[in-house]
Amino acid sequence: MFSCWTRRQKANMSKAKATQPQVIHKVIMVGSGGVGKSALTLQFMYDEFVEDYEPTKADSYRKKVVLDGEEVQIDILDTAGQEDYAAIRDNYFRSGEGFLCVFSITEQESFQATADFREQILRVKNDDNIPFLLVGNKADLEEKRQVTVDEAQQRAQQWSVPYVETSAKTRANVDKVFYDLMREIRSRKMEATRQSNGKPKKKKEKRRKCTLL
Amino acid sequence: MPAQEGEDAPLLPPDTPLKIMEEEKPLLPGVTVRAATPERLVHLCVESFGDDGDLIDDSEYPSVLFLMHKWFMTSEELGKAFVDIYQSCDETILCTKPGCIHLHSNKGCEIQAYKAKICYAVRYWITNFPVHFDLDTHLKSVIRKFGTLVNSEGNHMFKELIDLSKVPSYDWMRNMSVRPGNSMRHNRKVSLVFNHLEPLELAEHLTWLEYKAFRRINFTDFKNYAMTASLKDNPKLERSIALFNGLSQWIQCMVLSKTTPQQRADVIVKFVNVAKKLRTLKNFNTLMSVVGGLTHSALARLAKTNACIPSETQKTMMEYTELLSSNNNFSNYRKVFNQCPGFKIPILGVHLKDLILLHTALPDRVEGNLINFRKMAQLSQTLKELTKLQNHEAPPVCANMDLVNTLRLSLDLHYTEDEIYELSLAREPRNSLSSVSETPSTPTKPVVFADWLAGVSPPDPNTINKHVHDMVEAVFKNYDHDKDGFISHAEFEAIAGNFPFIDSFCVLDADQDGMISKAEMKTYFFTANCHALRNSFKHDFHEYTYFKPTFCIHCTGLLWGLIKQGWKCKDCGINAHKHCKDLVVMECRSKQHAACNRRLDSVSNGPSPHQDLTYSSKRKMSQRQKRNRVHVGTQTEEAYFTDLSRHINGNWGIRDKLIAENKQLKEKLEQSNEQNIMLKSHLGVIRKNTIAFILEQMDALNIQRDTEV
Ligand SMILES: Nc1nc2c(ncn2[C@@H]2O[C@H](COP(=O)(O)OP(=O)(O)OP(=O)(O)O)[C@@H](O)[C@H]2O)c(=O)[nH]1
Ligand SMILES: [Mg+2]
Ligand SMILES: [Zn+2]
Ligand SMILES: [Zn+2]
Ligand SMILES: [Zn+2]
Repeated sequence: MFSCWTRRQKANMSKAKATQPQVIHKVIMVGSGGVGKSALTLQFMYDEFVEDYEPTKADSYRKKVVLDGEEVQIDILDTAGQEDYAAIRDNYFRSGEGFLCVFSITEQESFQATADFREQILRVKNDDNIPFLLVGNKADLEEKRQVTVDEAQQRAQQWSVPYVETSAKTRANVDKVFYDLMREIRSRKMEATRQSNGKPKKKKEKRRKCTLL
Repeated sequence: MPAQEGEDAPLLPPDTPLKIMEEEKPLLPGVTVRAATPERLVHLCVESFGDDGDLIDDSEYPSVLFLMHKWFMTSEELGKAFVDIYQSCDETILCTKPGCIHLHSNKGCEIQAYKAKICYAVRYWITNFPVHFDLDTHLKSVIRKFGTLVNSEGNHMFKELIDLSKVPSYDWMRNMSVRPGNSMRHNRKVSLVFNHLEPLELAEHLTWLEYKAFRRINFTDFKNYAMTASLKDNPKLERSIALFNGLSQWIQCMVLSKTTPQQRADVIVKFVNVAKKLRTLKNFNTLMSVVGGLTHSALARLAKTNACIPSETQKTMMEYTELLSSNNNFSNYRKVFNQCPGFKIPILGVHLKDLILLHTALPDRVEGNLINFRKMAQLSQTLKELTKLQNHEAPPVCANMDLVNTLRLSLDLHYTEDEIYELSLAREPRNSLSSVSETPSTPTKPVVFADWLAGVSPPDPNTINKHVHDMVEAVFKNYDHDKDGFISHAEFEAIAGNFPFIDSFCVLDADQDGMISKAEMKTYFFTANCHALRNSFKHDFHEYTYFKPTFCIHCTGLLWGLIKQGWKCKDCGINAHKHCKDLVVMECRSKQHAACNRRLDSVSNGPSPHQDLTYSSKRKMSQRQKRNRVHVGTQTEEAYFTDLSRHINGNWGIRDKLIAENKQLKEKLEQSNEQNIMLKSHLGVIRKNTIAFILEQMDALNIQRDTEV
């Protein structure tokens, strides 16, 4: 949060690198209250070991993972409980390198809200190609579906982002959304390094894929 | 679920339902139960007390149980459970004292000793959680009956233990709105005008408001939010969040209301100083809101403004940014907060998140129907902190109620994120030369007065009305020195400075006597506030034929042609080009005006709703001109607007001159750079009378050009 004012923060991170030789990918969970952001986060972080979960520890939302053979860390900021703090959402978004924009397929309103979140993220990040996945959660509740695959896909296509349906309950696609997003972040970072090395920017190919259960 | 824990109860035959699971590594001292039936939990509580009534080994178990019981049972049920245990003591407790007949007079009777402990437990509950009792009549009656029962056994000493008469009143918790408490020691003398307010005064009054709103949120409110993730039927929490958002936005608007980068920087410096005081007061919630506002991208992007901020202030800002950073799960904040002794206000959002995640992660019941007490112990650590303020008698600040009322109303005004961001763009347009990746993310589109994105609804008209009433009374108390019920225009304008971008002065001083009455001022603020409600922004445009030269409210250009030159709003009468009408950002004022005028008509010969726009524009304009003579502003502009105002007045003689000058102005505008165009397209955002607003923007442009070259 507040990354704009924190140059020192970067220094801290490089210091930490000495002990923790990993790259950190910062992921932010956004979406209306109750769509399952926390459930997805907890499933990914703790699997069946939620018993050990302590919400207040500094590393509660940081996990070492192997991404295509490379050891990296994922840092997840769940905005649960702060959905209504509109005024500071902006600051949270700034620190994110990638976004999982979650709605519940059983709640049309939560799908509508994704457009607002997307807009705010784009404004804050000032970047149309920010790593971003549209996630339709609670896919196990097919009988209560209010948002069709088609309309969700259409929106994703319009934004040129992938659409994935998940279930925090059955764990379907949970790892996938986090890994896919990390891959996007990684390729974005590599692109940025290439650019800063003076090489011409390769036009980013827009992805149009969609994953369903 | 760790199944092996079932083996903790080896004495039970295999078919007896499990009643208790023990904790291997207690999270808190004395909390040795992992899960149990409610009845077992109550027994454990009783057994946490020694014969002398003290807690054994400073066990934290009773405080966790009493704090958390509402998560899984009502207070009434818990109270009854104690009574049940008391009544069944004779059967369940084995007295090993030889020859004992188990009367209260029998020294060393083990049954009597257990009964005493039950009363000690209830006493502990009453003393440490008086709020449970004052607010719950069912619980009160259970405990009263318990007292009668104890008394009937002749145990007067026990009866005293469970006496409710000393429970303080928590009446204030029942009230929604923030009100002056009786505990106010002195009513400080302070200025009500933002520019004259000291940072300390602001910080103290904000803390006072925060304190009042925060401590009113009770356990059940937190629990419901953690469970439903929704503010529906949670007005106290909603109010607190609205205050938080309102303050953040007020700060952004106060900054953005200034025309020059230096003026904006000055406001930022002032709020950073407010932040410092909030830090000293250990009011982290308000601090978060202030810093959140100051670092919001609508302000952070203002390069010219930021260049004017002294490095000292930048440093402080960075310090707080790091303190409140979400990095490492808010570890900086958590560390500092935990170390702070005494009065402090936590960042509500951070702790709400902890509650929600714990609740998502862990089930309430395990192994069939046992209460998951480990979860309760974990939740209790957060809830203890969140409910602490309820027992804090007074914040370490004293407040001037008049200032509180003024501030509170300032924070009631709602703006959307979009509006504020558009305003920021208008103040300092995007740099067209910036990096490739900085392509505008969204096409510039008309400001939409979106739904209350967050689900926080604006205060209802009655609340606003009450706030307005209190505030106006406060203003008059302080400024109407001769108590004649009027204050001067100048004084009013100074106070209105606290409310950036509220509507123009059109409904003010309706009788134009140069003085403002209470009624006029109340109407003014109430109307202004209503405008913030989004329903009033929709225009009802229809194609229209004009019989005299008319100008577009959006682009200020003439509506060309002989017939059907433009579009007119049926309700408020504004006019615009076809291609401009969807870009108009000024609200539709007709209904409020009509209402206000009706009210004002009774005291004066106010203008009819239809004439009102012309009338108010005129008034506004003459005010502007007066101000403009003092400020910068080119001759041409002044001449132009003077003429325009005469035109609106119905003066036909200067029509040609007007058109010529309008053309001149247009040429001038075309010559200006892209910035100018950007600026212009966002002009209306401020919701002021458009024409008056252009003048102000022109000032800003001139100043910007001057400083740039
Ligand atoms: N059936 C089903 N229920 C789910 C799924 N994901 C979450 N839930 C349930 O939805 C509810 C809300 O989940 P949370 O994870 O707390 O929602 P959130 O988006 O984090 O929202 P907050 O409550 O504001 O944190 C909980 O009762 C979950 O058990 C899912 O994939 N399938
Ligand atoms: Mg959640
Ligand atoms: Zn006995
Ligand atoms: Zn126009
Ligand atoms: Zn209108």
